[in-house]
Amino acid sequence: MGVVAPHGDSLTLLFDALMQGRSAIHPVFRELPKPAAAATVAFDALRWFTKLQLAGVDRVSQLAVAAAELAMQDAGAIGTVEPERIGIFAGCGMGGAAALEAAYRSGNIQAGGSGRVPPLTIPAFMPNAPASHIAMRQGVQGPVLTYSVACASSSLAIAEAAKAVQRGDVDLAIAGGSEALIVPGVVMAWQAMQTLASFAPGEAADAVRPFAADRSGFALGEGAAFVVLESAERAEARGAKRYATLAGWGSSSDATHLTKPDSPGQARALRQALKIADLAPRDVGYCNAHGTATRVGDPVEAAALAEVWGTDLGTLKVSSTKALHGHLLGAAGALEAVITVMSLYRQQLPPNAHCSTVDSACALNLILERGHGAPDIQTAISNSFAFGGTNSVLLFKR
Amino acid sequence: MSSLKELQDLIQEKYDLSPEKLAADASMRATGLDSLSIAEFVFAVEDHFGIQLPDDDPNIDTLGELAALVDRMRAEKTT
Repeated sequence: MGVVAPHGDSLTLLFDALMQGRSAIHPVFRELPKPAAAATVAFDALRWFTKLQLAGVDRVSQLAVAAAELAMQDAGAIGTVEPERIGIFAGCGMGGAAALEAAYRSGNIQAGGSGRVPPLTIPAFMPNAPASHIAMRQGVQGPVLTYSVACASSSLAIAEAAKAVQRGDVDLAIAGGSEALIVPGVVMAWQAMQTLASFAPGEAADAVRPFAADRSGFALGEGAAFVVLESAERAEARGAKRYATLAGWGSSSDATHLTKPDSPGQARALRQALKIADLAPRDVGYCNAHGTATRVGDPVEAAALAEVWGTDLGTLKVSSTKALHGHLLGAAGALEAVITVMSLYRQQLPPNAHCSTVDSACALNLILERGHGAPDIQTAISNSFAFGGTNSVLLFKR
Repeated sequence: MSSLKELQDLIQEKYDLSPEKLAADASMRATGLDSLSIAEFVFAVEDHFGIQLPDDDPNIDTLGELAALVDRMRAEKTT
C-alpha cells in the first residue's frame, strides 16, 4: 500500500496521526471572501520527477505516480510480473484542477491574463492522466482504466481491480485513486454548494465533526492512495507482504437524486459486500464510514447501517476519519480503504474525532476516544457514497 | 544580437538542462525532450520574448536553430 496524504507518505505515521486524533485541516486561500479550510499535502515533486518529466504533469498525476510507486515498493512487486499481466484501476473525480484553473486565468485577458493558454493544458487535466502516468512509470501494459464516480471513484476502482484479479484478467492490479483540486475556483464552487464546514477563526482543525449534533459539513482534502492486489495463491507463492484480504465489495445506485443520499441504496451496497464475503453483519467489527459531516448525509448513512445491522448495530464500531484528513473526493475511497486495512493490521481503530455531542439521529457505536485498541478485530468495511447516487462498500478480512 | 544565452537560461530554469547537458548544436529530441516538452518550452520562449513562433517546425531541433529563428522573429518585430 502507498499513500501521499495530508498526514504524509508513511503508512505508519499516517495511522499514528489518526490514532492520536491529529487533524491535518488548516486555513487556505485567505484572500477568498469566505474563510476556507482544507487538508493539503506537503509534496516535493522533484523527489519523484525531473523538471523535464514534469512538463504537462498536473499535481493530481504527480501524487498518483508517487503513491503508486510507494505501493509497488511496499508490496515488493516491482519486476515480479509480466507488464501485460498488470492492470491499473484508478479513481479520480475531477482531474487536473490546477492546470484547468491556470488555463482559465491566463486565457482571460479581462481578468489580467495574457490571453494565451499553456499548450499542455488538455493532457494535464484529463481525468485519466494519473492512471496513464502510473502506467508509464511502472511499465504497465495491461488494462489501464480510470473510474470517475465522484466520491466513490477509488473505492469502485479497487472493487473493479479485485474482480479483474479474480477473473484472471491480470495477475496484479495497482488500484486506488488521486485527487488534487485545492485551487481557489474549485474551493469556491464547493463553498457555493453549501457542503463545507464553517469554522471560527483559529478553529479550522476541528471544523469537521462527523455524526455530531453541531456538524456543518466537510473540508476538502487532496492526496493519493494505491494498493496492490493479487490472488492469495500468487501472494503466498512469492512470499509477499500481506496486509489483509479484500473479501467483499458492493456497489449500487440510488437512482433517486443527483446529490441527496438514499439509505436503501446504501443498504443494497452493504448487503452485497456481506453476501460476497459470505458474512453476517455481526461478523464485521469496524466501519470506516463515509461520514462527510453534512447535515443530510450522516443520518442517512446511520439509517443504512441500522437497516442492515438491525439489532446487531451496537456491535459495529464506527468512525469517519474525514474529520482528520478531509474529504479526498475521488481519492477518499482509496485512502479510507488503506486506513481500514491498517486498522485490521494494527488491531486499533481510529477515532471519530471532534464529536462531543452525538446527533441522536446518528445513533451508532461511534469510537469517541483516541487510541482505541481492538485485539479481536477480524473484519472491517469502508463506505463510499457518491454524488450521482453511486454507492461502494469494500469489506476486508485480516 | 543572439538569443542563445537567454534560451539557455530559460531551458535551464524550466527543465534543469544546463549548456553542459544540452549543447547549442545538440538535438533536443535526442536529449530527452519530446513533442510535449518542446511545445511547453516554445510557449515559454514566446512568452519571454513576446513573439509568436511557427507551430511545430520539424527543422528546429537544436537550441542554436531555435535561437536563429527567435533572432529572426525579433528582428522582424522591430522593423
